Amino acid sequence: MQSSKQSKNMFSKLSLVFEELFVFLALVVLVLLFGFTADNFFTTGTLAAILTQLPALTVVTIGMTLVLISGGIDLSVGSVVALSGAVVGLLFTSSEMPLFVAAFLGILAGGFTGLVNGLLGSYLRLPIFIVTLGMLEAGRGLAYMVTGSQTMYIGPSIQDLSLPIGGLGLSPAFLIALALVFAAQFMLTRTVFGRYLIAIGTSEQAAKISGIRTEPYLTAVLVLSGLLAGLGGIMNTAYLGASDPNAALGMELSAIAAAVIGGTSLMGGRGTIVGAFIGVLIISVLQNGLAQLGVTEPFKRLITGVVIILAVLLDRWRSR
Amino acid sequence: MRGSVHGLVGENGAGKSTLINIVSGLLAADEGEISLNGTSYSRSSRRKALDHGVALAYQELSLIETLSVAENILLSDLPGRSLGIARVQLRTRARELMDLVGLAEVNADDGLSTLTLAQRQLVELAKALSMPEANCKLLMLDEPTSALTGPQADRIHKIIRDRADAGLSVLYVSHRLEDVLKVCDEVSVLRDGGIALCAPSSTLTSNDLIKAMSGKALKARKDDELKTPGEPCLQVAQLATDIFPEPISLCCHRGEILGIAGLAGAGRSELLHSIFGLPAERKGSVFLKDAIDNHEILIDSPSQAVKNGIALIAEDRKSQGIFADKSVSMNSTVAGIGKLRGALSTISPRRERRVTEELIDRLKVKCDGPLQRIDRLSGGNQQKVLIARWLQARANVWLLDEPTRGVDVTSKLAIHEQLRKLRDDGAALLIVSSELEELMTLSDRILVLSDGKQVAEFQRGQWSKEMLLEAAFSGYAKRAVQATC
Repeated sequence: MQSSKQSKNMFSKLSLVFEELFVFLALVVLVLLFGFTADNFFTTGTLAAILTQLPALTVVTIGMTLVLISGGIDLSVGSVVALSGAVVGLLFTSSEMPLFVAAFLGILAGGFTGLVNGLLGSYLRLPIFIVTLGMLEAGRGLAYMVTGSQTMYIGPSIQDLSLPIGGLGLSPAFLIALALVFAAQFMLTRTVFGRYLIAIGTSEQAAKISGIRTEPYLTAVLVLSGLLAGLGGIMNTAYLGASDPNAALGMELSAIAAAVIGGTSLMGGRGTIVGAFIGVLIISVLQNGLAQLGVTEPFKRLITGVVIILAVLLDRWRSR
Repeated sequence: MRGSVHGLVGENGAGKSTLINIVSGLLAADEGEISLNGTSYSRSSRRKALDHGVALAYQELSLIETLSVAENILLSDLPGRSLGIARVQLRTRARELMDLVGLAEVNADDGLSTLTLAQRQLVELAKALSMPEANCKLLMLDEPTSALTGPQADRIHKIIRDRADAGLSVLYVSHRLEDVLKVCDEVSVLRDGGIALCAPSSTLTSNDLIKAMSGKALKARKDDELKTPGEPCLQVAQLATDIFPEPISLCCHRGEILGIAGLAGAGRSELLHSIFGLPAERKGSVFLKDAIDNHEILIDSPSQAVKNGIALIAEDRKSQGIFADKSVSMNSTVAGIGKLRGALSTISPRRERRVTEELIDRLKVKCDGPLQRIDRLSGGNQQKVLIARWLQARANVWLLDEPTRGVDVTSKLAIHEQLRKLRDDGAALLIVSSELEELMTLSDRILVLSDGKQVAEFQRGQWSKEMLLEAAFSGYAKRAVQATC
């Protein structure tokens, strides 16, 4: 009796670590697959290609994952990426403002859109799907207005953020993104804020009865998502060296896909940041690998879509 | 046996629900065989079971939120042709069944989501009874009256008896032992997956059943000495909402259990929720008197209530209590998580684990450890975890709505023990229960609500079941008189 209890306890512990382990193994398998089928996969060139595009999607996915775990969704992140980039572009090129101040204001702009989303969703009780959908349109429109509907060139000063330093080929942007992944994971599992997000996402009613005021937390997580999307906008602008109003079109869907592949439930209450990050890696590896194999764009999207659906089915099976 | 009502009792985990699930087609048996009316019966799906004439009412209701009451009742056999549902037929057939079970005040077209838990249980029963009497050979009822009050349950029992007398075979599974002995011709006791006892109900008492279920006899309950309550601590002044428009005032003291009796729909649950600060629209106020400096704190929201040591354990633990797919640990610590903070204001996993283990030990929760998912536990153990939650949050005013609904006998006694201990340690408890025996065992005082009004208050030793019932009905009698004029 005692040993079966112990082994049951071990199994539940193992399946907690196992959640992320599972996705990680999937990533490893994918990498090996491409390594054997594509000629130049295991090269620094590939690694560099993946790593430079990664930071923006990563930070946006962090925000999206937190929102999903709390039971909500943020469809506006792609537009916010473009908007914050546009704000930086405008402020930097039309005034004497130092770059990092402009960048800071760009991030704040993202936070502000998050605040609007949060207030409308939590206090006015409007469905968050619709609210952020509206912000998706409005944000994109604002991005166009701010840039005058054209790409604004910023130049090498911002690109430093995106350039690899040292021999490792890791850019400051990537390091920041990685640090945020671990910071967010820690916040989720070890702080009261994170615990409350999980509770609200699991059952908003039970959370209220447990004494949690849901409105401030739901608003805060959307502000966080906005700030992270703003940061993503800075990183994206750094990568391009310019503010592009068409940046990050559809990024919200990639972020959701990455989170879901990483084990986040769209119903709320379940998911990890590390898992979502592995999801980002899986998507990046998949897209790069397929490109190297010479797969055409339409096919790439088809395959990526199939992978996402498989991930959800697998997740359903695992959580029975 | 044909044409008789057979009762099935046993502790949670003994195998009652599993047995029902096998016969109804949801699970496959590993071995053995079942025969219905002499023909060997091996169903492999719910549909086949239905075709064989097996009807069933589930413990965890099988209703669909988004459909109407009528659609839910006739779901397995919606009347209609290829072009759609025959609405008129649907409505009339549903209406018949609704009047039969006691849902006269509900419209057939009302959405299910507008119904209370008791009404939903009646819908589930109507659904089970919807199979035409000619086709129905076996009716299985799993905890059919758990959310109903005495009179509502009596009505259902009469229907069951009538049907049985007309030839229907009924399997009645319940924790309410008195009901089982009253309605059933024979009772079987399941223990650890085997039958420990099977005898005619006329030869059995509740104690016999309990002994057979648990292998031990109930200790004789001694009448508690009258406890002198302490300082008043919860003051409810002229509280009113749409459900109970006439203002209610009450006062609960430290070291006191105040029972709240009444029929389903009388406003008891709403009173508790309103005290806790739940629906925002209410008139009147709730005050908590601080133990130390005696000043009064106004309570007007759940978060404030919790911060000041008020706990609410709601009737529907599935949607308003537990975080279903989360661990026992998370469920136990969510309300008082602030107390587990360690360095840099972060949650210390070691402390969380230790605290949870202490609570599991203290309340004797049967589980595989702090990390087990709470929804894998039996109802009684889930309820214990909820109590643990509020212990950890240092609650000293407890609002409990049906604290032992769907809980097996042993856990029920343990929970009663625990509630008495809380009272003895100085907490104030308000308990709503549809089981008068439970209220009479636990309470120091009982308040009776009837049709949203406060109609009576009884001190311990001055009440009887008849007096309580009479008071519970009194508010409705006036309404009935007015209706006939």
